[in-house]
Amino acid sequence: MPVPEEHEWAHCTPNLKALSYRFAVCTDDVALGAHISELLSSLRDVDAESPAGGMVDADLDGAPGEPTPHRYALTAAPDRPGTVDVRRDGELVEPRLAPGVAVGWLVWDVNRLAAELSGEHLLFHSGGLEASGVGILVPAASGSGKSTLTAGLVRAGLGYLSDELVALELDAAGSGPGRLLPYPKPITVKPGSFGVLADMAPAVLEGEGDGEWLVPVGDGTGRRIAEPCEPGFVIVPRYDPSAETALVALSETEAFFTLALHAVNLLPHGPAGSEALGRLAAECACYGLTFSDLGSACALVLGLAGARV
Amino acid sequence: MEASWPSADSVPVRRQGASGVELDDNIAVYDDVGQLMILLNSSAGAVWNLCDGATTVDSMVKALSETYPGEAAVIGDDVRQTLRKLAEIGLVTEGPAAP
Repeated sequence: MPVPEEHEWAHCTPNLKALSYRFAVCTDDVALGAHISELLSSLRDVDAESPAGGMVDADLDGAPGEPTPHRYALTAAPDRPGTVDVRRDGELVEPRLAPGVAVGWLVWDVNRLAAELSGEHLLFHSGGLEASGVGILVPAASGSGKSTLTAGLVRAGLGYLSDELVALELDAAGSGPGRLLPYPKPITVKPGSFGVLADMAPAVLEGEGDGEWLVPVGDGTGRRIAEPCEPGFVIVPRYDPSAETALVALSETEAFFTLALHAVNLLPHGPAGSEALGRLAAECACYGLTFSDLGSACALVLGLAGARV
Repeated sequence: MEASWPSADSVPVRRQGASGVELDDNIAVYDDVGQLMILLNSSAGAVWNLCDGATTVDSMVKALSETYPGEAAVIGDDVRQTLRKLAEIGLVTEGPAAP
């Protein structure tokens, strides 16, 4: 059964923005809505007029000239008590999910659509940080320790761009590699890293994040969100529990192909994309970081960034 | 492309849509038509840079022999072999005849 347009929601988030994907989330469950608002508050779209949270009839028009945000609706599933139906723009996309599972799915779907709909930027499967205004890219495959290293460095005080998807503005003038843009989604921490990041344990709903933590960032969390910044470093992490923690300088060629490997949308950008990769590889200090100990790895990166900035 | 290609007066040209990025001593060539990215070493990169649609193979060999005089004896074969490989993967082709 569709949700009527004039539905009175118990809770709506402000308008939110994941790179170029604008959205909001409404629900009939006040507690669930408050949890989602807190978790996604770092994505608040400050450029758009937002509907107030709380007991509102959502009016989700974007700012003048901006596309209307997409809307997720989480409503009690009529045929299975204790679960919610998830709709996106009115279409039922996930029926009868436990609320915690719905939250995890929501973060996953936003991430997917942020990647799909932000094609004007060159996107990297990468963590991203900022130290004194200088950007650090942390490109790596899943399981390499990218999110763990990113979380450790955010805990140490660096600004947070993303733990998953970093956008590089493509500079039309070709004078530089452009800025790294924040996509400050909640940090995903896998169970294997719970121990070393225990002090970042979030409040979670049962089933949320499919066994992973979704760690909120931004105001009130002690975890700072970075502003857009010029890239200065590329750090390619590889977690290896049997290895000594060490940084090794990468050649331009090694850095270029590593970045190409982790670029999400290089093909559509053609030569402009590969030229941007070349500038990144040439102008950033690029390193491989093999680590077995998070504290030592963070100290190496902080020392590197401190020496540069 | 004929098996005898390139001849001394061939004029190889980079395929439109293929672009090179200089890295260290190498060149990464990206071809958005063939959706290909390959790394050329310095000598292959030097040949690639001369594939401008105006330089004949003979001129390429002379230019590179002046740059690398110690390897002049083998440069002719190297240039032709490199061009054939680049042509096989579609990155260069025969350009319009020189005026």
